Amino acid sequence: MLRLLSSIYKELLVLIRDRAGLAILFIMPLVLILIMTLIQDATFRTVKEVNISMILVNNDKDSLGEAISKGLYASEFFQIVEKINGEHIDEETAKELIARGDYKIGIIIPERATEAIRGNVNALINKSFKSFNIPGVKKRTKKSTIDVTIYIDPATSNSFKNMVMSSLKEFTSQLEIEMFFKNFSEAMAQLIPDQKPIKFESFETIRYKEVYASTTKDEVLPNSVQHNVPAWTMFAMFFIVLPLAGNIIKERDDGSAFRLKTMPGSFVMIMFSKIFVFLGVSFVQFILMLLVGVYIMPAMGLPQLEIGPHKIALAVMALSSGLAATGYGVAIGTIATTHEQAATFGAVSIIIFAALGGIWVPVYVMPHTIRIISQFSPLHWGLNGFYDIFLRGGDLMVVLAEAGKLLIFFVIMLGIAIVYNNYTKTK
Amino acid sequence: MQENQHIIELKYLTKYYKGSNIPAIDNINLNIDKGEIYGLLGPNGAGKTTTISMLCGLFGPTSGNVFIDGMEFQHSSEKIKSIIGVVPQEIALYPSLTAKENLTFFGHLYGLKGKHLKTRINECLELFGLEKNANRRIKTFSGGMKRRINLIAGILHKPKIIYLDEPTVGIDVQSRKVILEHLKNINKEGTTIIYTSHYMEEAENFCSRVAIIDKGNILTEGKPKELIATKGEYTDLESIFLNITGRALRDE
Repeated sequence: MLRLLSSIYKELLVLIRDRAGLAILFIMPLVLILIMTLIQDATFRTVKEVNISMILVNNDKDSLGEAISKGLYASEFFQIVEKINGEHIDEETAKELIARGDYKIGIIIPERATEAIRGNVNALINKSFKSFNIPGVKKRTKKSTIDVTIYIDPATSNSFKNMVMSSLKEFTSQLEIEMFFKNFSEAMAQLIPDQKPIKFESFETIRYKEVYASTTKDEVLPNSVQHNVPAWTMFAMFFIVLPLAGNIIKERDDGSAFRLKTMPGSFVMIMFSKIFVFLGVSFVQFILMLLVGVYIMPAMGLPQLEIGPHKIALAVMALSSGLAATGYGVAIGTIATTHEQAATFGAVSIIIFAALGGIWVPVYVMPHTIRIISQFSPLHWGLNGFYDIFLRGGDLMVVLAEAGKLLIFFVIMLGIAIVYNNYTKTK
Repeated sequence: MQENQHIIELKYLTKYYKGSNIPAIDNINLNIDKGEIYGLLGPNGAGKTTTISMLCGLFGPTSGNVFIDGMEFQHSSEKIKSIIGVVPQEIALYPSLTAKENLTFFGHLYGLKGKHLKTRINECLELFGLEKNANRRIKTFSGGMKRRINLIAGILHKPKIIYLDEPTVGIDVQSRKVILEHLKNINKEGTTIIYTSHYMEEAENFCSRVAIIDKGNILTEGKPKELIATKGEYTDLESIFLNITGRALRDE
């Protein structure tokens, strides 16, 4: 016991004396979650809040042009730009501005676009009433199509493009319905005496109500902070692998490990003292990152992190994740022969684990094979556990399975390190 | 436990590293008695470090046996480790810790504690003229001071056997003199010393017996003065060494 305690004390002293290393260990994860949450915050806000500039070239000057223009201005989703330096933008200029990346998107409504809709509506009315021979209803006209061109910056995200397309289709459909109804109503008025044309009105019979499912009575609203703090906290905690592996390699390089091997006390005891100290570091990192979510993020205009009532579950997940990360660090530090190997393999493998774990792209949108592979990522288990707590209101029982997987990962990693260390004795 | 007077016995010791068909140690037999200062001399790649590594229990032999005070590592690893002290060629200390913190840590690993450990640390620091630097961090020490602390870390627990791997390499004459004098005194108290060095003159004066090894074999063995006397045409150990190991440059 004295040996273990003394080893822990030595590790603590070594860690504390490296002031620069210590600052990096605690400050960098905080910077990471702040930056990532601020960046990703935009994807969680409504488009209205983000307010993206859009070029509108309205060559129609009729109902469709007016409807689209009115709709876009009214939605306040976009900042509509129709003029530059007091002059109306033409199609060529719009194309050039978007190609240069100055604007994300541009809509060009061609001349006579409304005419085309009107013609098609008339064609349909004609078809419906041709046997009644109503005066005023024109003979059937030919159906026509016209292109509204949308110029898109290639760097624009697909989801944003789809959102714009869907808004435009909605405006066009609305106009078509209104035109059809107006013409239909006029035709009916011709057919039925005393019947006056009816004005079109829209009514929302079906309303859509969004409720975020939760295992508790409280509904936790998902926002950038609730999503990003657990995700990037997991990611940052796993980076403890690098200083821990570096510590093991440094000890080997400077000969201390050689001395330790010739002294009483096992490899496991030495590794446990490191695990204990670095687990403590990762737990402090975790608490600091939560505090940033609760106190610093609101001061920067972000939503406040809701920790929820299940603090024991949170501590269990934090410790399990920390153990998984330190176990992984011990395995890498034992097997890698140089700092370069450990740093490159450690960092890249964590990024792969994070990608598979759904830190960047949710697992449910990944291809089937990748979704299966992602089930083996410790960051996926950790992230799931934290989402259970932060977003689904889960308690200790809910996260036990994920915590268990992380602990098994820790045991396997430690086992690999022990087996490899014994193997080197037989070389 | 074997009943014998040899504190170290190597029996038919052979070591092949994995993937190599050339033996690093080739079937050597060696007995070292209690209280000896035994020098393992040889050019780079001769097998000195491999032998010392097996004597420390870092890895086992491919065949043959290593007996330390009658015990073998596979049965009594912890017991053997508590009676040996290793002074590696590298400064195997924590640079950010003070001399006292380093020695306290290593002392605890040897099972020393409390007042006894404190007294022993102070005693050793005083012996090697470092008592005023006890609370200075190792990284601020000169090369000679680091080497002395490196040595203290290996003798703190008063081991029965001390392995010294090039203990005086890269230090000034004064530090070398202090180190060798104190090692002689420790040896007089009954401690067996196994020593490797490239300094033949130092080995000639310091060791009670030497073995010159090369390519995993013991080429010659005996008391330095007797070796010089039997090989009449040579006046020192270095000449014998060069004669039997050759003058060609060696890689590690």
